Formats: sequence, C-alpha cells, structure tokens
Amino acid sequence: MSPNSDKEEERVSTTTKFSYPNMQTRHLFITLSCLVSLQRASSVEILRPRGVSVTKTSLYDPEKNFTCFDGSLTIPFVQVNDDFCDCPDSSDEPGTAACPNGLFHCTNAGHQPMDLPSSRVNDGICDCCDATDEFDGQEKLGGGHCTNTCQEMGRAARELAQRLAEMQKRGAEVRKEMARKAAELKASKSSRLGQLRKDQEEAEALKAEKEAIKKQAEELETAALAVYREAEELEKERRAQLSKEENEKEAKSMFELFDADKDGRISIPELMTKQEFDQNRDGQVTNEEARFFLNQNEEVGEEAFITECWPRMKPFYMMSTGKYIPPGEEPNTNEETEDPENFEAAQDDDNILAEQTEELADAVETEETPEEDVDDGEHEDEEEGDHDKEEEDSDHEKDGEKSFSEVQYDAETQRLIDDAANARHEFEEADRALRDVEREIRQIEESLDKDYGIDGEFAALEGECFEYTDREYTYKLCPFDQVTQRPKNGGGDTRLGTWGHWAGSESDRYSNMMYTNGQSCWNGPQRSTKVELSCGTENLLKAVSEPNRCEYKFEFETPAACHISEDASSKGIHDEL
Amino acid sequence: MRKLCYIPVVAIWIAIFSVVGGVDRNNFKTCDQSSFCRRYRAMKKGESPYQLLLNTLKEGESDLQVSLINIKNVVHFNLKLTALENFDFRLEIDEAQPIKQRYRVDYALKGEPATRKLVVTERTSESITVTNGHNKAVLHASPFKIDLYNGKTLMMSLNAQGLLKFEHYRQKTEKPAVPEGEEAVEPPAPVDEAEADIGAWEENYKSHHDAKPHGPSAVGLDFSFPNADYAYGIPEHADSLALKATTATDPYRLYNLDVFEYELNNGMALYGSIPFLIAHGVEATAGVLWLNAAETWVDIEGGAHKGSNVVSSIVNFVSGSGTPPPPLEARFVSESGMIDAFLFLGPNPETVSKNYAEISGVTPLPPLFSLGYHQCRWNYNDEDDVKSVDAGFDQHDIPYDVIWLDIEYTEGKKYFTWDKIKFPHADDMMKNLSLKGHHMVVIIDPHIKREGGYYVHEDATSNGLYVKNKDGNDYEGWCWPGSSSYLDFFNPVVRDYYASKYSLDNFWGTTLDTHIWNDMNEPSVFNGPEVTMPKDCVHYGGWEHRDVHNLYGLTHIMSTFDGLLKRSQGKLRPFILTRSVFIGSQRYAAVWTGDNMAEWEHLQASIPMCLSISLAGMPFCGADIGGFFKNPDSELFYRWYQIGAFLPFMRAHSHIDTKRREPWAYDPETTSLVRSAVRRRYEYLPLWYTLFRHHEVDGLPIMRPIWYNYPKDKSAFTIEDEFMLGKELLVHPVTKSGLTEVSVYFPGEKDLWYDIDELELFSGHGTKTVQTPKEKIPVYQRGGTIIPKKMRIRRSSALAKDDPYTLQIALNADGLASGSLYLDDGETYEYQKGQYVSLVYHYDGTTMVSQLVDKEASFASKSWLERIIVMGVRKAPGRIVLKSQSVGEQEIEFAFNPNKHLLVIRKPAVPIAEEWKLFFH
Repeated sequence: MSPNSDKEEERVSTTTKFSYPNMQTRHLFITLSCLVSLQRASSVEILRPRGVSVTKTSLYDPEKNFTCFDGSLTIPFVQVNDDFCDCPDSSDEPGTAACPNGLFHCTNAGHQPMDLPSSRVNDGICDCCDATDEFDGQEKLGGGHCTNTCQEMGRAARELAQRLAEMQKRGAEVRKEMARKAAELKASKSSRLGQLRKDQEEAEALKAEKEAIKKQAEELETAALAVYREAEELEKERRAQLSKEENEKEAKSMFELFDADKDGRISIPELMTKQEFDQNRDGQVTNEEARFFLNQNEEVGEEAFITECWPRMKPFYMMSTGKYIPPGEEPNTNEETEDPENFEAAQDDDNILAEQTEELADAVETEETPEEDVDDGEHEDEEEGDHDKEEEDSDHEKDGEKSFSEVQYDAETQRLIDDAANARHEFEEADRALRDVEREIRQIEESLDKDYGIDGEFAALEGECFEYTDREYTYKLCPFDQVTQRPKNGGGDTRLGTWGHWAGSESDRYSNMMYTNGQSCWNGPQRSTKVELSCGTENLLKAVSEPNRCEYKFEFETPAACHISEDASSKGIHDEL
Repeated sequence: MRKLCYIPVVAIWIAIFSVVGGVDRNNFKTCDQSSFCRRYRAMKKGESPYQLLLNTLKEGESDLQVSLINIKNVVHFNLKLTALENFDFRLEIDEAQPIKQRYRVDYALKGEPATRKLVVTERTSESITVTNGHNKAVLHASPFKIDLYNGKTLMMSLNAQGLLKFEHYRQKTEKPAVPEGEEAVEPPAPVDEAEADIGAWEENYKSHHDAKPHGPSAVGLDFSFPNADYAYGIPEHADSLALKATTATDPYRLYNLDVFEYELNNGMALYGSIPFLIAHGVEATAGVLWLNAAETWVDIEGGAHKGSNVVSSIVNFVSGSGTPPPPLEARFVSESGMIDAFLFLGPNPETVSKNYAEISGVTPLPPLFSLGYHQCRWNYNDEDDVKSVDAGFDQHDIPYDVIWLDIEYTEGKKYFTWDKIKFPHADDMMKNLSLKGHHMVVIIDPHIKREGGYYVHEDATSNGLYVKNKDGNDYEGWCWPGSSSYLDFFNPVVRDYYASKYSLDNFWGTTLDTHIWNDMNEPSVFNGPEVTMPKDCVHYGGWEHRDVHNLYGLTHIMSTFDGLLKRSQGKLRPFILTRSVFIGSQRYAAVWTGDNMAEWEHLQASIPMCLSISLAGMPFCGADIGGFFKNPDSELFYRWYQIGAFLPFMRAHSHIDTKRREPWAYDPETTSLVRSAVRRRYEYLPLWYTLFRHHEVDGLPIMRPIWYNYPKDKSAFTIEDEFMLGKELLVHPVTKSGLTEVSVYFPGEKDLWYDIDELELFSGHGTKTVQTPKEKIPVYQRGGTIIPKKMRIRRSSALAKDDPYTLQIALNADGLASGSLYLDDGETYEYQKGQYVSLVYHYDGTTMVSQLVDKEASFASKSWLERIIVMGVRKAPGRIVLKSQSVGEQEIEFAFNPNKHLLVIRKPAVPIAEEWKLFFH
C-alpha cells in the first residue's frame, strides 16, 4: 500500500452494456494501472475480478478452474462473477449480487476501502465512493448515476481524522494532567490516612483513659448525692401538695366568678357568656362549646368543677387572658380537610387532559423528592442527628444541674459533682475527637476504593456537575454521585439514577457509566441512566435521550476519555494502495 | 394501537381492578345487559307468529315480493327474495308501513348486486317454489319458513326454528304505570313482548344513559344448515377458528370496540365486525351474509359442535347415541335496521368465497412494498431515532420496507400536523427513506382535538362536520388528545373534506411514499359507553349511531383511500392499515388483530384470528409481531417473526412502555434468526404478490384453513395451528415455548409435501413429526405446484425490482406441476390498463412451458429467469434445451442430486416476461 494513493488511477475494462446475463461478458475484470511513486518508471498491471480485494486476488486465477473457498465445488473460471451463484459459501460471485452472503470489495482509492454485502451491488444505491458497486448503467434511486467521490470524501475524512487526532492529543494532555493531579491527591490522601490511623490509636487510648476517669468520678458523685436525693424527694412531695392546694383555691375562685346566679352550680348558659370559651373564635360560645367544658353535663357542682371542668378550662382561660402558652401547635384542621377535597375534585374533573395526568403523576413523584433526598444524605443526617442529640443531652444535663443547684450542697459534695461533670465533659471531648478521626478515615478509604479509571483520571469529575437543557427539562450529571432531571417550567428534581458502576465493554470498561436506582416511573421500572463517554477537550454534557421508557442515555465529552494509542492516531488516514 | 389511557378515571380504574392484567369484562356488556339480546334469547323455538300471505305475491324480473304478517300483533312486513347473478339469493324483510324508515346498510357492498331472472316454478296454497339456475328456494306460508337447495341438496333453512323476530317501530305510549300484564286500552297499538322489557325505551349501562327515542327495533332470524358440521367466520373474535356452540355462553358479539388487553378464547366483541358466516360439512358448504351495521349477536348451536355444549352431549348420551345430532344453527340478532341476508348456496368453500367477493368486493392488488416487512413502534421518537433504526437495518443486513410513526409524531395529537421539534425536517427524512426504496406509514385517527386554532377543528365546527349528540350539539368525547369530537364520515362532504387533508400541499412532510394507518376508528371514545360513541348520537341523514356503528371505521378508511388516491391524481395504489373493519373494508385497507400481548397464547391466536378474517373476505391480515403489550423473551420474539413472515401482513409493533425491540435488540443469535425469517419473507415475495393478484381476480382467500383446500377431510375441520397460503404452501409454525418438534398434519390422500428448507420430499398424507431447532419454520410446498421466488435479498423490495426469478417446482405423484407468476410495476394502476405480465407454467417431465395468460398485456421487466429448482425428480435428464424467441435454442446446464431427487437448472437466463419452452432429453 502506498501513501501516494491520490495519484493512483483505476480503470474498469468491461463492457458496460448490460441486458441479460447470457449476453453479458462472462467475467468482469478490473485492470489497475498502478503508477507508483516517483522512483518507479514502469507500471504494473494487476488483473482481478470485480469485487475482489488485492489481498484475495491470488485466489482468483483466470488460468485455472475456481474452487469455492470452502472446497465444496470446483467450477470453470468463466463461472466466476457470471451472475449466478454456484458456491454455497458465495465465494464465486464477489462482483455480483447473485450470492446471498457474498462480499463486494471496493477499493475506494483516495478514501478507505470497504467490504459490502454483495446484495448491495447494482441495487440502485451508490454505496462505494468509487462507484464500483453500481455498474449496470441503470439510473439510480435519486436519479442519475453514481460518481466517484472518493477524493472529496477522503480529503474530508482525513481532515476530520486530523481534527479528531488533534483533539485526542490535546484531550490526552489534559487527561494526563487530570491523572497526575489524581495521583497527587491519592498520595496525599494515603499519607493522610497513615497519619489518621496513628491519630485513631491515640484517640482511642485517650478515650479509654477518660472513660475510666469518668466512671470513677461518677461513682463518687452518685454516692455523695444519695443523701441529698432523699431530701429532694420529700421536697418534691411538699411542692406537689402545695401546688394542688393552690389549684383548688384558684378553681374555687373561678367557680365563684362563673357562677353568676350564685346557685352553687355552673350551667351552660353561664359559660356561654364567657368569650374565653369561644374555641373556634367565631365570636360566639355555642352550646356545644360550653358543654364541652362542662364535661358534657348540663351543669356541674363545685366539686365536679374543681376535678373535671377547671383542668379542661384553664388552658383556654389563661390563653385568652394571655397567661398561657400552649405546649405544642394545634393541628391545622383546615389543611387536613382541604387535601381530600382537592383530590376528589381532581378525580371528578373530567376536564383534565391526558397530559395533565402525566404531569400529575410526575408531580406526585417530585413531591417525594425531598423525602428521598433526605434518604440520600444519610451519612450527613446521621451525623447531624448525633450532634443534635448531644446538644439536647447536654441541655438536659444543664437543666439537671440547675435543679440540683437549687439545693445547697456541702463543699465536698459540690467538689465531687464538679469533678464528675468535668470528667464527663473530657470523656465526651475524647469520644468526639475519635469519631472525627474515624469519619475522615472512612471518607478517605471510600474515595481511595472508588474506581476512577486506569490512571484515576476521572477523579477530578467528582464533586462537579454538568447540565444539559432540552425543550422540557434541564438534566444534571454529577459524576460518581447522581443524575437528575428538572422540568424547565418549575417543579422539583427527579432522580434518574445514582452512581452505580462502570459499564463499558470488557475491552473499554471506562467508556460507559451506569447510574441506577433512580426514582420509580409511574406504572414502570426504576429510572436508570447510561452515560456514554467520549473524548473532548472540555467536560461537556452533549446530549440526552430516553430510548426506552425511563432508561436515559447521556452523551458526555471529557478529556478523561481521551486515549492516545497507535491505532487511534493512525485510524482513518490509511488508504489501500 | 395501545390503550393505556391516561385519563384519570380510567387510569385509577385500571389500577384498582385490573391487577392481574387483561380485559376488564365489567367494561363491556353481556347479552343480558343488552336489552334486545336478552329479549331475543328469551324467545322460544317453534312458536313463530309469522305467516306469508301468499295471495299478495308480486313477481318481478329478478325478484318476488310477498306480505309477511305477525299474527300476534298484526304488523305487516314486506318480504323480497332476489335471484343473484351467481345463483344465490338475497332476502330482505322490512316493515310494510313503518312510522320511521329503517336503516338500510350503505357503503358495505361493492355496488348494486347483479341479478338473474327469478322463475316461479310452483305455487300451492302452502308454498311458493322459485328457482335461480340450479338453485331453488321454497317459501312456506305457515309457519313461515324458507328452504334453500343447491340441486337437490337442502343447504339451509330460514326460520326453521321459528326465531324470526322483527320489532316494528312504534309510538311510545305515554301510559301511566300500568300494572304488569294489563294492556293500555288506548291507543290500540299492537303490543309485543318488546314493550314489557324495561330496556325497551331507554337503557342504562354503568354511568351511561341511552335515550332510545325510537324504542325497540331489533331484528333476528335463525339459519339452519342440515349438512354442516361447523360454522366459521363472523370475525373479529379472539377465539377458535371453528366457532363454538354458545348454548352455555354468551353469543358471539359483533360490535366494533376498543378492548384494552383483550382476552383469548371467548366471543366478546373486538375492533371489527364482519357478519359473514360459512357453514361447512363434508357434503356441502354454504354462507350467510347478514347485512346489518347495528350491534349484533350470533348464537351457534348444533352440528358437530363440542365446546361448551356439554348439556346436549349428555342428553344425547343418556337418550342413546342413535339420535343424529341437531343441525348446525346460527341465529343473528341486531339492534336495529332491517333483515337483509345474502344466502350463498355453495356447494363448496371456493364458490361461497367467490360469490361473496362478487357482492362485497376484493382487496385490490396492494403496492408491492406493503407486502414486505414493516417496522413499527409506539413510538419512534424523532428524526434521529428514525435514522438510527434505518441504519440498524443496514448494519445488520436485514431488509425492511416500511418504518412507521405512531401518534407521538403529531403536535399534541392533532392529526395532519407534525411535532416540529422532534421532526423539524420531516420532508427531508421522508426523502432520505425513499432514496433507499423505503416507505413510511404515519398514523391518522378519526378523533379531532377540540382546540381553538387547530384548523381541522375550526373547519369542522363552523361547517358542522362532527357527529352530533342526541340534543343536536357536536358530540364531545375523550381520546388521545383529550377533549375530542368525531368527524361524521357518513356525510359525503366530510369524506371529501377529510380526503383533501391528505394532499401533499396540505399535509406537509408527507410524500407519495408516505402511507396511512387509520387507528381508533371503532370509534374509540375513552369515556364513552363501552369505550365507544353513545348509540343515541346522530349522524348525517338523521341516522342514529345505533344504526350505523359498525360502519364507522369503513367510512373513515373510504375517505382516506380517496384522499391518497387523489393526492397522486389516481396514479398510485394507496396502502392503509385499519383496526376497525366491516363488510367491504377489504376494498380499502389491510387489518391487524389489534393490541395483542407478548404471550405464546397470543401468538397462537394470531392464526385462527387471521384465518377467520380471511374467510370473511379480508385477505390482508396480520398480528403485531412480538406482541404489543409486555416484553417478549428472545424465543417468543424470533418465533413470532417466523410466523409473521408467513402471514399476509408482516409488521412488528410494540407499546411505548415496552423495551426497545428492533431485530437487533437481543443477542446476535436472535438477530440472526430474525434476519433469516425476514429474508424468507422477501424470498417468497413474488409468490405473495402473485397470490394477492389471484385474490383480486378470483376473490378467494390467500391464507386458508386446511379444510378450505380439503373440504371433505373431516379431520381438518378444527385444525388451527397450521394453514395454507393459496394452494401452494402449508405452514405449521412453532407456537409454543421450548418445542424441539411439532406434529404436522399433511392433508390430501394423494398429495406430496416438500420441505422448502431441505428442498426434498418430506411427507405424503398423514401426521408427521418434524424437528424444530431454533431456525426451523415448518413450511411445505405441495406437490404439483410451481412457486416463483427471488433469491437475492436486497435492502427493500423496491431495490429487487429488476432482480432475476427462481422457479421452485414440487412434483406431484404423477411427476407433474403447474403454477403462475404475476408481475407489474408494483405501485401504479397501469396494470389495469394492461401493463402487467401474467404467466402460467406447466411441467410434465419431458417439457416445461411458460405461457402468457393474457397476450395483450405486457410489462417491460428487466428481470430474467435465474434458476429452476425441481423437487421430486426420479431420474436425471440427459440434456435440457431451452427455446424462446429472444434466446433461440440453447442448451442449459443443470445439476442433479440423486439422493434428494433434486434438479437445479442453471441460468436459463431468459427474460421473465417471455414465453419459452424447455425440453428434457
């Protein structure tokens, strides 16, 4: 094969007349005049049947009978390319469409050679750029005849290959840098890990030490406090009694206040004059409202009032007089009744378009999103949760301290209490320090375990996100994390998958990423996304499609996918001859 | 198409009730829920109140008319019996003095049926006898009955069971609640049992109300066939080929309905209704065409029926086996219209088919491409998708002719528009497909989106083109686009308007290579009663939807056909696929069995379903390859292609929620199996085309039950797992999972059957087991036939236009064979002006001849004869000489395989359109 293929010419030496095959020239040959390079003055003539590549020429010797490649049959050479299939393996008709599984070779000088199913010979479509597959002189499907376009196509292909190679080269440089940074990062992480492991040992030792101290101090504290605890119990009882008496006194005075007719009983009409009992704030105390406070009685005496009614009234009374703050928010009854109504309305409403239903379904899905997001951030949440709990705990302890501090301890007891509190505090510090170390170890190990490609070149993509917007949605790819979709006209994210695994072929494992376990489709499977990676000089999410319902395909360009290999660099600029 | 309706109510309803999947029977009426069916079934046999008044007889040139009276309510009817050209009869019964005209079916017949002279040969006080050629009808006066004879054989009797029923139109008597049994004294209107039915003047079904302003109006009649064992036809049902007795089930129902996930093995209504029934026995075959477009139920009883007729078999058993089985009976009842029945007196299947085709028409020769392979999916999403599917076929070297676009290509389900974002260059896309000889089919449904600014809706609203509801306003229902109205194709103005929408000027993006899929034309109305239009809607001419329901789809495709014809100035043959069918739909479109499922049982059902449709006069039938709903596994997938390759219409289709399943979507082995099946289709395309031409000429079905070709072979009467294509091929596809062999029945005492893969004799008469490895499609060529093939497989049928032919000959026991080949340009109507070639071939062992059938006709084909394969040759010839005008006399090479008895004649190379003769020395 010569690199100077541009100068080569091809000449077809057949009669182009074609009517019925029996009238046709029996075998069709191509004569090639190869004017090869400057230093050769002579020309070489190679005769080969139509549709046969140079490498196979020797198998078709016009001087001999032809034997099918599979050896099943030997036929006179005139039956080669005579437009009748003799060989079961299709080898006798490389240049016609007669055989079912034949291959037609076009040289395509100036461009790439091609092997084409021989059923495409003379079918009215120009497949070979050198037009050799259509030689029957018939008008082609688009009108006209095939022309040789190999020069232009070859040039365009070479230019394209050139551009691709350059891009590949530039991309590969970036990739190298990405890999280098990844290696650096990995090294620093590894060394940090070593340090952390040491820290972990120290922290564990410290924690154990502090725990022992704490245990000892608390034992002393408990013993000392036992004395005081008894006294405290008594005091509590006394206070409870006092409070009960106060309540009764208050109730009695209220009884007198409400008993307008002073008949020793409080009746519904009496309560209905007290605006404080207007529970639903409609400006009126209804019979029902009043009855509620009388524990469903028409009227009550003093005793029943004190035990049954006042405890029920007190919060309302105090609240309306501004003295009481309820412990929790009252349930918003309005909201509760609204939802089912809306739902029913939606159901009944025949005027919802089919599309809207889909939207409805989508909306239902997206409503779930926040919840699911919570699930996703499991680690963080756990940690935050722990943190909150600690704070609560310490608040509680402070409260305890406060209540204790009301009691006056003797100096020795107080010292023991303080010691125990200190010991606890120091233990917690040590415990927290250990957990911090462990968390960092876990994070580093996870990241060191992750497969970021042969040279770790994909590591740099982690933590970044890339977007693509079509007419309806904005898609977001966050490599090694998740893939989401957000409607352009508002609405929440729908998760199309979380990082699953590399999914390229065995030979090219890092060419595809799979993101799995996305949100479930209405009446369908869980969403998933396949990300096809290709070489580019920059990271770019190029296209998104949904070839199957709920199975997405992303096309992503990144320098990390640029490989420089001998094959790739020379591909596409090689010609036959 | 599909039917996962995204209507809230329906969606919720599906979620709640159809957990298991499959049809929800609650959505469709039983006979008991349909008041006229209920009333008809309540009638007692042998109590017919109808009598002929023989003295009123009036003889016409080709008919007789006589009065018929219901002696119970003294209502008079006119009976008319007409002698048809092919010696059959037509019976019409209508009210003598109707207060309102009864609907007479339009559009279904090819034209006004040709008639012959009717001769009255005998008149007695009890009967009249008339003859039509060798056929005879005897009309008995009291009780009224008609006996019909072919020669001396009694072929069928009408009203033999006394189940004639004709509910005359009446005024609604505004009587106050009269206690049951008592009659209102005034006015003295005739009364019959219809009055007593609570559904007589209004009916409710689920949440739907049917106003029934014209009251009860049913017509029914029983037909007995004393010589028949089984009844066939009356599609469309997902049931067995031989109809089952309905004594213990509901009758077969004919009411065009969009049934979501239909169920197999029952007589529930489906998308199409063709009220044509063939009654067949060893001695005789007869047929009945019940020309009525209203909801119809058909009861089957007697004959050799087993099935659900357990009670009668037990009775027979107990009473002793000596009693002959009761005659086969078919009882038709329709909700409105008149009695109009065509009585085909056979006496064999082919005569019945032929004469029925004379009345209802045939499928005109389809464009060649439509017999190729069709690739469909709901949906090919956009131009890139179409491009990549097209490229996939080239890459995997699989031929295809047509790629389809389902509803999503439109802008918001507004037909005649494109989603310009997904298909911005639809016109270029179409041209690129054409450049490789491919075609496209796009869907156009009859419902119109009610959206301001949508020109079709605005035109229809302002010009009154929509079907009206009972109050006279445009009827509004729900379908794909949401709120929709339905064009009233019964109005010629609407048909013209709609047809004009298909013009290339109007329908941007389409070219002459774009063809049409008319779906949802039952019509499907998601929120209507039984998912269709209310019966009290009103059509052009004031007819209620009740009267014309089953015709709606036919009028739809008539308009489309006209539109496609006009857009090419009448030059090119249209291709249309329709889901709803009626008598006559075969003249315009192909049909498929609707939304089937990716299950082996549905694969099996595709054979009896298409056989029934074929027997009813629609030859161009297929089933969605792969199954529309659900995902087929690889085995089901390739086995389905293997069947599909041998059904008249070959299309793969899938639901939007299924996984992609282009032929290469599975593993390479599956792809290769699918490739082989599709190639088989293309190899036999010349046969298919020839068979379709034969159908156009003689009206016979293409796909046939075994018994059709072997009418006296009783053991073939219920075979439905194999079938024949013409008289040439016997197909017994593999329809069960994991089968390594199937048992094939080979009919014909003297017939020989040749394996088309091995090209050698496989079996004579009898049942034989055949091994079925993955690639095996058990197909056999009958000895005595010659089949034209093309063995060069191109990317589409168009690209093989000039390719040479192979003739494949299977010799019969006498060493003889004959066959034919038809060819033309494959797309225009020029063949009707003589631009075609039709050849017959005869082989007798010493010579073989090719003769032009019509020497006046001609077609300039570039094709030639590539080889002749002769199977069953005992002895190698010494030499073979070809003689023709263009070749002269020339010795031809050949090869003989003595083990297979196979002779392959190499390259006769004579132009295919020429007459020639081969001499075997």
